[in-house]
Amino acid sequence: MPQLEQVEFFISQLFWLGVFFVILFSVLTYITLPKIRAFLNKRDDFVRSHISKQDELIKKAESIIENYEAKLTEAKNQASQIINDAKDEALHESERLLKATEEKIQQEIKLTESRVQKEKEDALSELNTQLKDSATDFISKVTNIEKGNINL
Amino acid sequence: MAKGESPLKQFEIQPIIDINLFGLDISFTNSALWMTVTTAFILIFFTAPFLKSKKTNSVSDLYPSRMQVAAELGFSFINSLLSDTVGKEGKRYFSLVFTLFMFILFGNLFGMIPYSFTFTSHIIVTLALAMGVFIFVTVLGFVKHGVKFFSFFVIPGLPIYMLPLLIPIEIISYLSRPISLSVRLFANMLAGHTLLKVFAGFVSALGIFGILPLVFIIALTGLEILIAFLQAYVFAILTCLYINDALHLH
Repeated sequence: MPQLEQVEFFISQLFWLGVFFVILFSVLTYITLPKIRAFLNKRDDFVRSHISKQDELIKKAESIIENYEAKLTEAKNQASQIINDAKDEALHESERLLKATEEKIQQEIKLTESRVQKEKEDALSELNTQLKDSATDFISKVTNIEKGNINL
Repeated sequence: MAKGESPLKQFEIQPIIDINLFGLDISFTNSALWMTVTTAFILIFFTAPFLKSKKTNSVSDLYPSRMQVAAELGFSFINSLLSDTVGKEGKRYFSLVFTLFMFILFGNLFGMIPYSFTFTSHIIVTLALAMGVFIFVTVLGFVKHGVKFFSFFVIPGLPIYMLPLLIPIEIISYLSRPISLSVRLFANMLAGHTLLKVFAGFVSALGIFGILPLVFIIALTGLEILIAFLQAYVFAILTCLYINDALHLH
């Protein structure tokens, strides 16, 4: 097996292993890995800052939604208030109109009744005088007494 | 792959440039070549996408390119591995685990290229890595807890008379960590590549029926790529667990 037979190359192998391992280790430690780390950190920072910015924006949006909802409920309350007021007013108005109309009708009825009463009385009194006249006529014709002398 | 060639020949070290430093042979070999390729690839793969810094300061700066996504994937994979096993303190050991994982992973994967060389198939390399982890973790434990680190070998809630038996067992299991860690990776790489080579030998030997081992090799190659990932992952997660042990003892 050359691994155990070629003893004369042990020193050479160890030497070159040492050289290349040290070179590799040094360059990686002082140049390569810091570069990679810096690159990754930069990106992580970017992502992190965007995440925090996003959180901020989400909070802002939530407050806006809250505000909007509060205003919406307020507006709804106002609207129902206005509707109720309008309903009440309409009810009052119609009641008032109804009352006024009823009163007017009542007045008319009264007026008409009194007029009828008066006409009735007039008619009765006229009938009375006519009856008197007719009676006077009849008596004067029968008795030949002048009309002026008959007093009923 | 000449006929009759040993399946182990692929693991042979071949010097490319002979270098001698103070009497030590530190020749640049095929192993060192593939370590170079691995190191260069990892550095380019993870660094290049992030070099061009767009300075438009707009949101489009933040969209990752395809290559950046690929690099990020590796980054966040090790990140979650560490935070799952060690927790928040694990961030300090990120670059160690990342380097280990990527070095082993791409070493294994480049070893899957035909005619390439798998440096993780050499026990000396995996043992060196494992010993490195072991020494680092032990030093870390002593730095964090001082002498109290020895209480790691005492399992809490155990009757006193069991301790003489169990403390040696705990110490042996602790000391065998680098061996199990290194042998696991080395043996997996060795076995997989050897098996592939053995079946590749059957393809030419069986003539027209060589199609059967060929199909098998294709399936096995897929499995080997999975193992390349898995072994790098196991090495990384065990390193994480050892770091966790050193930080929190029990």
